[in-house]
Amino acid sequence: MNLPAAEWYDLRDLNGISRLITEWVADWGPDWLASILTGVIGALGVLAIIGPTLLILIWLERKVIARMQARIGPNRVGPVGLLQPVADAVKLILKEELAPRAADKWVFFLPPVLIFVPAILIWGVLPFGPNMSVADLEMGVLFLVAISGVNVLVVFMAGWAQNNKYALFGAMRVIAMSISYEIPVVLSLLALVFFTGTLSVNGIVLWQQANDVVLFLIFPMSALMFLFGSTAELNRTPADISEAESEIVAGYHTEYSGMRFGLFYAVELANTLAISAFFATFFLGGWWLWGLDQWVPSWLILLAKTGLMYFVFIWLRGTLPRLRLDQLMSFCWKFFVPVGLVFLAVAATQRTLLIELGWDPAVALPIYAVINWGIAGAGVAIYARTAASPAQRLPSRPVMARGRLGGLRAARELADAGSGD
Amino acid sequence: MSDVGFHLAFWSLSALTIGGALMIIVSRNLIHAVIFLILSFIGVAGLFITLSADFLALVQILVYVGAIAVLMLFAILLTPRAARDNEESLMRYPAMILMGLVIAAGVFVALETDWGPMREGAIGTQAKIIGESLINQYVLPFEIGAVMLTAALVGAIALARQDDEDLPIHTASLIEEGVLPPPDGDAADAPAGPGDDS
Repeated sequence: MNLPAAEWYDLRDLNGISRLITEWVADWGPDWLASILTGVIGALGVLAIIGPTLLILIWLERKVIARMQARIGPNRVGPVGLLQPVADAVKLILKEELAPRAADKWVFFLPPVLIFVPAILIWGVLPFGPNMSVADLEMGVLFLVAISGVNVLVVFMAGWAQNNKYALFGAMRVIAMSISYEIPVVLSLLALVFFTGTLSVNGIVLWQQANDVVLFLIFPMSALMFLFGSTAELNRTPADISEAESEIVAGYHTEYSGMRFGLFYAVELANTLAISAFFATFFLGGWWLWGLDQWVPSWLILLAKTGLMYFVFIWLRGTLPRLRLDQLMSFCWKFFVPVGLVFLAVAATQRTLLIELGWDPAVALPIYAVINWGIAGAGVAIYARTAASPAQRLPSRPVMARGRLGGLRAARELADAGSGD
Repeated sequence: MSDVGFHLAFWSLSALTIGGALMIIVSRNLIHAVIFLILSFIGVAGLFITLSADFLALVQILVYVGAIAVLMLFAILLTPRAARDNEESLMRYPAMILMGLVIAAGVFVALETDWGPMREGAIGTQAKIIGESLINQYVLPFEIGAVMLTAALVGAIALARQDDEDLPIHTASLIEEGVLPPPDGDAADAPAGPGDDS
């Protein structure tokens, strides 16, 4: 990177400060002290981002959703309700923390703490600037996938330990959903990895910078798969069947009260923020923005893109109704997985043409973009015509469950079948 | 690599791995045992990192912690009474003898192996090396593994799949009640069927 000389006061390269500190320690101290210090600085930096941002994001989310639903939203505590999250946090801390008598004690206490570990760890590979990530791992994409898979286990521990059937239902739903939607997320990232030829998160940003294009334009379907797949893994509203209030109370954290619930809530928001940042990094160019990163601090560009993606997540939540479990599953397995496999082959082919035949990227990339948008559109059209449940423009009567299972009718049919045959 | 940090990491990760493995045996509750097993897996992943095998460590977490442990939890959860207690079993002594033999074999292999190449350190970009050797040198085992996994997937679907006759509700009854559109697309009085809408 041809960044201007990294002075300690230069906001464009905040990494300079931490480098100065670690080099100063390495001068007089042992090696391992410098390594530990690097880790501590990185962790503090990540926490310094997550903590305050969470408070603002809670307010933002409630305010934006209120506007979308023609309400006002929080407006009592502080100017325009800005201190509402603080008041909520204080309330949650002061609340009594109950534990069911039949709960498995240790397994019940651990999850609210353990769930923070993956939520913090995935920030480690996020590049905030050219040289500005806590650990620019060679296999950052794999790290992201591996670490976000650990969440499932913690949720299962929480759901099982409460000795509550709704919590267990919620946990089972989370696991079924996360494991299913991990496949489209991995397939979408794999297409990017095939195409850019690197497993490093920063490498993907550098590829976008080198080719002057954001990957969203070339792989629209991968972007959609990553966006919706992460929505499902994050349990956000179009896919929040794991804590569907109308069905299973509060899902996997039914019995958690007070700040324990607050921790689950905070981690959910932190994960959403992290996934927004990763979407911005993979598909929108991350810290790079057509040369603007030479003038504006790169981490500010990333945060702006992250904010944009977070707004998209809020938008989805405010707009779409909750999907049913079988709808979610069939959407994943009948649409995302086949389309993802197709795009894997497409990405590999296009990469081979680009590298092996030496095509000019400036010519090939726009053609690829057109082809991929065409394939994506065709995929959506084919799915809508064949596998999707048919849309009814003018239903003759209210229809609740149109699947083959469920409801009173299923019970009646079962009773009939039992007595008849 | 500094010696202090390396030894610190090695001993603490070893303690985590072996402690977790011990607790699997000691704990009577099977769910607890699986949780300790996960702890042990994470310790092994950490040990891989100290050996500069980052790829292996991440795959260890992805496959063992993220997938296999969840599978075990499901298996325990869906087995009646298994989640409550781990009861006495007559198979204890054969199992002890078997495990003793396995441990002896492991120790023998560890003592007899020539660890010389290990001291040369990491061998560069591992993902690239692994990928290239999978496609070039080991392409046949790789393809056989892929076919076996596909066969397992198809077999699982075939086992879990219900035939249409077994479903509690027949499509025909739904069509009678007007919930589903008739198959031949009677557009006159039925709501728009699949493919009717643009």
